[in-house]
Amino acid sequence: MKAASARWLGLGAWLVPILFFAVGPVGALLLRGTGAHGDAGLAWLASETGALGNTLGISAGAAALAFLLGAPLSLLLFRTDLPLRGAFTVLFTLPSAIPAFIWGMGWLSLASPRAGYLNRLLGDGAFDIYGPAGIAFVEGLSGLPLVLLAGAAALRRVDPALEEAARVCGASPLRALLTTTLPLALPSLLSGTVMVFLMAASSFGVPYLLGVSASPPTRVLTTRIYELVLLGGDAGLARASVLATALLLLTPLALLATWALGRSGRVRLSAGKGVASRLLPLGRARGSALVAVGLTCVLLVLLPLGAILLTSMQRSFGAELAWRELTLAHWSGVLLEPRTLRATGRSLLLAAGAGGLVCVLGLAAAVLQRSFRRLGAGVEALAVWPYAVPGTVVALALLLAFSRDLRFILLGRAAFVLALAHTPWLLLIAYAAKYLALGARNSAEALAQIDPSLAEAARVSGAGPVRAFVDAPLPLLRPALTVAFVLAFLACATEITMSVLLVPAGSEVLGTLLFELQSYADPAAAAVLACAFVALVVVGQSVLALVGRRTVEVR
Amino acid sequence: MASIALGGLFKSYGATPVVRGLSLDVREGELVSLLGPSGCGKTTTLRMLAGLEHPDSGVIRIGGETVTGPGVRVPPERRGLGMVFQSYAVWPHRSVEENVAYPLTLRRLAKAEVASRVKEALRWVRLEALATRRPHELSGGQLQRVALARALVASPRVLLLDEPLSNLDAALREELRAEIAALRARLGTTMVFVTHDQGEALALSDRIAVMNQGVIEQVDAPERLYREPATPFVAGFVGGANVLVGQVRDGAFHTAQGDTRFPLPPGTAAPDGPCTLVVRPEDLELGAEGTPLPLSARLFLGHAAEYRFPVGGTLLRVVGPPREVRAGEVLPVRIAKAKLFATG
Ligand SMILES: Nc1ncnc2c1ncn2[C@@H]1O[C@H](COP(=O)(O)OP(=O)(O)O)[C@@H](O)[C@H]1O
Ligand SMILES: [Mg+2]
Repeated sequence: MKAASARWLGLGAWLVPILFFAVGPVGALLLRGTGAHGDAGLAWLASETGALGNTLGISAGAAALAFLLGAPLSLLLFRTDLPLRGAFTVLFTLPSAIPAFIWGMGWLSLASPRAGYLNRLLGDGAFDIYGPAGIAFVEGLSGLPLVLLAGAAALRRVDPALEEAARVCGASPLRALLTTTLPLALPSLLSGTVMVFLMAASSFGVPYLLGVSASPPTRVLTTRIYELVLLGGDAGLARASVLATALLLLTPLALLATWALGRSGRVRLSAGKGVASRLLPLGRARGSALVAVGLTCVLLVLLPLGAILLTSMQRSFGAELAWRELTLAHWSGVLLEPRTLRATGRSLLLAAGAGGLVCVLGLAAAVLQRSFRRLGAGVEALAVWPYAVPGTVVALALLLAFSRDLRFILLGRAAFVLALAHTPWLLLIAYAAKYLALGARNSAEALAQIDPSLAEAARVSGAGPVRAFVDAPLPLLRPALTVAFVLAFLACATEITMSVLLVPAGSEVLGTLLFELQSYADPAAAAVLACAFVALVVVGQSVLALVGRRTVEVR
Repeated sequence: MASIALGGLFKSYGATPVVRGLSLDVREGELVSLLGPSGCGKTTTLRMLAGLEHPDSGVIRIGGETVTGPGVRVPPERRGLGMVFQSYAVWPHRSVEENVAYPLTLRRLAKAEVASRVKEALRWVRLEALATRRPHELSGGQLQRVALARALVASPRVLLLDEPLSNLDAALREELRAEIAALRARLGTTMVFVTHDQGEALALSDRIAVMNQGVIEQVDAPERLYREPATPFVAGFVGGANVLVGQVRDGAFHTAQGDTRFPLPPGTAAPDGPCTLVVRPEDLELGAEGTPLPLSARLFLGHAAEYRFPVGGTLLRVVGPPREVRAGEVLPVRIAKAKLFATG
């Protein structure tokens, strides 16, 4: 009886913050959005078809680009003997580790109509990164890793015996790869593509950077919501919730598509993990494949980052390109400025706090998921779902839900007042809710690998339930929790979309500082900050690589 | 050392009953095997005994103390047991000696005492030399020994073993079986041993409880179980006997399916009516005046041969001296000795 009620108590304790700070606010937003009348109703939505159309078009374009690049690349990187494929894999997965906004800045430096480096090298007006095509291009590139990683997972799980069977039947290695393995990996590649679509639809920074000041301006749902919130007033907020509802409805559709694709794909993949399959020898094509992949990598990954670095060292963006024009003045100016330091401190603190919450609540979700057989799926859904909700929607929902102080009345008296509006707490809540999935997924996957009898053996040895958990599965979960913490930390420290809506006046965080500098003030200073972001991400990813190696050693 | 009493245990998962009214007494120092086919509820029974599962109803007593019962639910850590899991459950993040020391550290023993008892336990299972190794450096047999040492180190009242040998290869299985027998002789611990392998059970146990679909069909000493099976299932599972369903008419057995007729040897107690015929392969003869049956296969066993005949929806197995016969030949088969269980 005691163990059973402890379980329910745990579930209750976990549900309170989840329902109150994530499900509740988004649910209220949804109600508000669907129930809006008057000038913010459906009739008004009809006048916003432009933004909706742009969102759909840009996201579809980004998804198509990511698929067309990602499918052949994943075959080359994960199923052939391409030289340097390990290094290429690291470089090609960089785009999703670095905020899309920074890639947008990079491409702006390269291909803004007049001052872009490429345009200056190749003659005026060769490229114009502004507008829908440019946005889709940048989003597609920053979504590329989603397709690559989905492809890698599937290609590793396709039973090599299937391909070998095709070989025995007389197929050449290439033919066997293309007619057996590729079709089997296709559902996974496509589900990665759906994720790119979703990511592009919820993206805010890039369409703001490359859309709002385009001529004519390209508006998408997220940037329209931002404008309406800035406009303020009840009408603006009501309209924003209608748009947010429209954006929110894209999520279940896309998730449904992924789920369906994943289901049809899973059946035919081998259940076992990482069966080492033989790599396809490229033979004489090896050299040309290396050149092609290398050039793609330089053009799509290294060039934009180089452009940002160059911009950060130019006296002013658009000035003549010459050695004597290079300066480190911006670097010392930006990095030592109190404003930057304060924003950095705030961001790191918030990111560490959110990372901790993500780990604790995520681990709790994983444990609950395991101890409740049926309800477990519901717990997982609650934990993972905010990750799929566009950041703009999460932020708007919190903004609306906590715009007024909440008074909790107990025994006829005000027991306590929850005043979250215009405080950094809202940021913390938004970050933790949005990235809870990282903690839940990582812990659940790690926990699933751990035989329950390890904890049971501790129980029989004389340990109570808590002690048994701390002694047996928890040490084995540490690598997964470290990964979750670092990923959440990086995501929060560089977060822009939710931060611009939620940050209290006068207490900037790194993301909003970057956004401000780039949008309104000083591209060179923004470039310095962007370089710092990239450095932070590289450090974080190295930590992850080290953790990964350590877990391999333990096994 | 302690006695165990299981009384009227019921357990279902959802709508599926897994254990259906199981009762069993184990005396102090006795080794009782739970023997049965995979999925019959052996592990579930053992886990209820350990306190890792709670039965829907029923009572469990260890050493006279009720540990499971109406309103009583002593948690596993306070039952004073040792348990060896089928998957070993050796903690991968602890060395061999840390694994074995764990139950002692929980009992807050002095460091020196822990060290000496760990050493002793490792000597029991002949792992002294590997004390500082990590589990991933050990073979399956060595892991199983670590699990055994860890289960025994704190002098448990009862040792529970869940198919401890089934993940090992044949030679290792033999070796570890002998070691378990030797440990038992030395420590005298009460043991409950779960297995699906009748050879293992017959060789190790004082008594065997044969389980089928969540109930115990017979509890007896190995020899008696083999000689006098109480049910057709026990005869088939433990003795490898042929089991045919049919009825007795005019002193002969007729299979229900196909109505094949077998005259019964004189002296067989056989009232007319529906029944189950149990006959060991050695008790069938390929004699002159038997029932003619088509041979489907012949397996050479060395000292003898096994002949198989499709009869009554199953394969009838006959063991006898090797003879030159081919599949498809019709041979007369005669029952020399059989046992009948009246049904319905
Ligand atoms: N946790 C569980 N949930 C649902 N069914 C279970 C669970 N554990 C065991 N079962 C079912 O109970 C039956 C008996 O299982 P078990 O006791 O493990 O059998 P055995 O150990 O004799 O092979 C099996 O059919 C199994 O599928
Ligand atoms: Mg079992």
